[in-house]
Amino acid sequence: MSAEKTMKLNLKIWRQKNADSNGSIEDFQLDGVSTDMSFLEMLDVLNEQLISAGREPIAFDHDCREGVCGCCGAVVNGQVHGPDEETTLCQLHMRRFHDGDTIQIEPWRSRAFPVIKDLIVDRTAFERIQQAGGFVSVSTGSAPDANTISIPTRDAEKAFDFAECIGCGGCVAACPNGAAMLFTAAKVAQLVTLPQGKLERSSRVLTMVERMDAEGFGDCTNHYECSAACPKGVPIEAIAVMNREYLRATFLSPEGA
Amino acid sequence: MLRWIYRFLNSSIGRKALMASTGLLLIGFLIAHLAGNLSLYKGEGVFDEYAHFLGGLEILPLAEFLLALLFVAHITMAILTTLENRGARPVKYAVAASHGKKTVSSTTMFISGLVVLIFLGKHLWDFRLHKEAFEKAPAEVVQTALSNPLTAMVYILGAIALGFHLFHAFASAFQTLGVNHPKYTPALTWLGRVLAVILALGFASFPLIFWLSQGGAH
Ligand code: FES
Repeated sequence: MSAEKTMKLNLKIWRQKNADSNGSIEDFQLDGVSTDMSFLEMLDVLNEQLISAGREPIAFDHDCREGVCGCCGAVVNGQVHGPDEETTLCQLHMRRFHDGDTIQIEPWRSRAFPVIKDLIVDRTAFERIQQAGGFVSVSTGSAPDANTISIPTRDAEKAFDFAECIGCGGCVAACPNGAAMLFTAAKVAQLVTLPQGKLERSSRVLTMVERMDAEGFGDCTNHYECSAACPKGVPIEAIAVMNREYLRATFLSPEGA
Repeated sequence: MLRWIYRFLNSSIGRKALMASTGLLLIGFLIAHLAGNLSLYKGEGVFDEYAHFLGGLEILPLAEFLLALLFVAHITMAILTTLENRGARPVKYAVAASHGKKTVSSTTMFISGLVVLIFLGKHLWDFRLHKEAFEKAPAEVVQTALSNPLTAMVYILGAIALGFHLFHAFASAFQTLGVNHPKYTPALTWLGRVLAVILALGFASFPLIFWLSQGGAH
């Protein structure tokens, strides 16, 4: 185990007052950053200093800080959630950086994710896509028996790979086209892999894609940056499944006639 | 009644599917085209015979029309998708790095496509629209066109751009059409790359050889 060290960092952070104002990059010098800190703790330390100096702290989203909620996220030196594979920003550690490093921190950039303040973007577009069909219609009056429909292990595992998506929006931020296809596809693929989700497969994919397009995201051209940046490693296969489902729903189902 | 078709063509996935399927058909055309051109290497007579055989086909006008339609559909979808994507990120990143997946080929699809289109204009003029193209023997038309260094250059650039375009295009088209399989996708990726190199080298070989042989003659 390497011993804890402290370092001095040059931070270049996007500051933006609100959705209507133009932002810009602001420089900060931060001393005494421990290699044991998480990235968000490093920002906490900076914010404490800013607050005690009577300045506005840097706004950033976070909640669980253990990589499960999908709240956190920023582009660090051009990389979504930083340089580590399958790691959310809150799980990124400062030991990944060196004394004297310059770190550029920017919010997700997408027409569909307007910046609200500093590093916080409005991701309600994702919620609207989800509401457009990312569910199965079941009666919730009483708890259904867990094993009424048995599902082969292979399918359950596959569905879980897709279900791991935490909706952080990193795929959109990482996509050179600003597309939201990995997110939408994760939902479509997860549900269609399970028997319960097959009932509404056609209407689901049509309405979710329509919503996704209407939100102003770009179109996937298969750079595959999304899946590489995804903190949960949602496989690129999800997008092929969604494409297939969309073609199936358009040409083979009566839906949308 | 046709609302669903309108909806399909206005959707991100519908446009991409049309771009991918027309693209794959165009690749089929390119393979046939290169195979035909290779007859030049068997002698002028063989090439002239092949050209006359093609020219004499009754379905040629229909085939040409369908081919033009493929190009128009492919290019229209490409323009629409590119415009959409340019608009999807109004504020750019100060630092735009990557997680290592995008390639030179995948990020330059529109530009490589544009270069191929410019080449195509010149190519159609040289061999299909230009009046002289019908007055001489086919092999002679090739000779005259390609012995011009500027034309040869455009043709070589066109072939290189085509190679870059197809390097990404082939496997990408399958993903877009929903084909992603642990057994076939890695093979399709490599097949696409090999095909891109073969087509680029194959098409570039004609201007290169004519240009070089011409240079030697003078
Ligand atoms: S704060 Fe919950 S995933 Fe990072």
